Amino acid sequence: MRTAEERAHDVMRLVEAARRLAEDAAIAHELTRSTGLSPEGVERALSRHLETRPSRAEIDALVRYAGNAERVLVVLSANVFVAALRAIAIGRAASDHVVVRPSRREPIFARALIEAASDPAIALEPHIGVETIDSGEIHVYGRDETVAFTRAHARPGVRVRGHGAGMGVAWISRSAALDHSARRLADDVIAFDQRGCLSPRIALVEGDYERGVAFAHCMHAALSDVAQMVPRGVLTEAERAEAVRWSDALSFATGALHAGDFGTVGIAPSGAPLLVPPPGRHLHIAPAPNIEAARAMLAPMDGAIVTVGSDDPGRAELFAPPHARIAELGAMQRPPFDGPVDRRDP
Amino acid sequence: MPESFDRLACDLARFQAEHIEGYARLCRARGVDITSIDRAIDAPAVPADAFKITRVATFPEHEARAVFRTSGTTVGAQARGVHAMRDTATYDAAALAFGRRMLAHGMPERFPVVVLGPPPEAAADSSLTHMLALFAREMGTPASNAETFIVEDGIFDISTFDERAARALVLGTPMLVAATSFALVHWLDALGDDVFRLPPGSRVMQTGGFKGRSREVDPAHLRRQVARAFRIEVQAVVSEYGMTELSSQFYERKPGWYVEPPWARVVPVDPVSLAPVPDGEIGIARIEDLMNVDSAVCVLAADRVRRVGGGFELLGRQPGAPSRGCSIAIDDMMQSALASTERGSPGKP
Repeated sequence: MRTAEERAHDVMRLVEAARRLAEDAAIAHELTRSTGLSPEGVERALSRHLETRPSRAEIDALVRYAGNAERVLVVLSANVFVAALRAIAIGRAASDHVVVRPSRREPIFARALIEAASDPAIALEPHIGVETIDSGEIHVYGRDETVAFTRAHARPGVRVRGHGAGMGVAWISRSAALDHSARRLADDVIAFDQRGCLSPRIALVEGDYERGVAFAHCMHAALSDVAQMVPRGVLTEAERAEAVRWSDALSFATGALHAGDFGTVGIAPSGAPLLVPPPGRHLHIAPAPNIEAARAMLAPMDGAIVTVGSDDPGRAELFAPPHARIAELGAMQRPPFDGPVDRRDP
Repeated sequence: MPESFDRLACDLARFQAEHIEGYARLCRARGVDITSIDRAIDAPAVPADAFKITRVATFPEHEARAVFRTSGTTVGAQARGVHAMRDTATYDAAALAFGRRMLAHGMPERFPVVVLGPPPEAAADSSLTHMLALFAREMGTPASNAETFIVEDGIFDISTFDERAARALVLGTPMLVAATSFALVHWLDALGDDVFRLPPGSRVMQTGGFKGRSREVDPAHLRRQVARAFRIEVQAVVSEYGMTELSSQFYERKPGWYVEPPWARVVPVDPVSLAPVPDGEIGIARIEDLMNVDSAVCVLAADRVRRVGGGFELLGRQPGAPSRGCSIAIDDMMQSALASTERGSPGKP
């Protein structure tokens, strides 16, 4: 059995391969086609969100999390293409026999990463069925339906670690500088055009409705500005349809709605239930008079929250679900490379 | 000469824009001058989700005589849509008129009505329960609530059902049995291979989906199983389609093919442009409901529909933005439109 040091070394080999890919213009071009992100969106993902410089402490933590498995099948999801690195790294830390099934919609990055790593312990099997795995573990990422299917079809004795759908929430504290916070949060919103499970979809603003409106104005400006540098990519028809419904509902509910090519920022009336916007750079802003109110508003969706970002992470921790990662604004989409981004019970 | 549908719809839209700030705002956002429209299709539709986050009513809260709520969802009571009415007379008259026509044709003036659901006092905010109580009161033979609504504390009172069915069989009077789809699944599960023969001419009205309250069953299979369990023709199982946000209901004329009452229209629209799609193409349901006097005369549902020969096909929910990657989809999180199309919470038996 490999030592922890050897496992860390194997993980580093993948990280180094990823570092080379981040510099590869050809793959960026291919990713633009496969992900629907704009070229700038792909470039930003590769330069800011691909974990090319994890610390040794992070890698050690990842190795500890991974444990040991006879073999691992890694089933990847499509959209946050850089997530393939972390997922494969966890599999590789756990086992000397890793098979990767990339997403049908976005197989490019995983394939390139595996080729670049040139690690004989990792094989790419685009068509492998989960039911063919007779021992070890299956690490499955993606839609809840995919996770449920995998659990239902995995053979007895095969451990399934599933990471399904989730989302991020931002907490803007009473002491936050609104403009600065909005600019930081915009960085989190635009990453992967908000299709990741760390993507903030809701921002709770401590204070009254007027403060929420003020923050909505700041978010509008921040998202408009950042869209100049990193334009939104192509939305699917379903995403566009959901966006229309969501923005019409918000238009009806409140006058404070900003919409444009950058996305949509809407603020719900005080006390209104939270309505999760679709992906595509849309943010639902809700005023919350205090931490207790924020906790109550989020409670019904606790199980879906993967991360909470805040200008005041210490206070955010007071109401975030225990499993959620806590991050500074602007760093919600860059969690430590210490295990899966989703820390809910797999 | 009666006023045309379009004229009534436009008048209602203007009335609503005058009294509901949100609707006036939606009209402005959509660039519609509501004062000058003369076709119903030009009035912006209110997404059903709006009922969940704000009040959609032309009158002050204290004037509400009935408040109907959509059933709970995965995010709990917070996300329930609310449809308030200051008078249910219009709703009742419309529901009764079309319900009688679609469910009771060929049946006597009065017939036994049994609901596989809880009584109104246990589901006071369910528009479905309200409507079924109305049917029982206005179309049913005299019976107590306990004899009509046969679910109490989540348990079917099978012996009461048995008694009523037996009596109807002896008298040769057809019955109406009404239930949600999930209640029917639980009923069938409880029954196993047993059957409850209903008198000839009886009908079963089923409505709504499963919403995680029972195992999912293919609609055609469920229909066959229900027909088998009650010993009735498959055609005697009639689906109803309604939403808490509406005041009108739609019934199947043939499996999967629904018809509107004369005071409502279902228009398939493009999900992005919201413009009507060409005849025969699939769109999402824009529902123009003249009975929604005090709320929203045009409601945008999340169901996919297609016009067919004087009616429409119901083709399931418009899929939410798919969770590309691990991002949560609205579907996953809110099941919002699902809650919209399934009215109230008649309880899990």
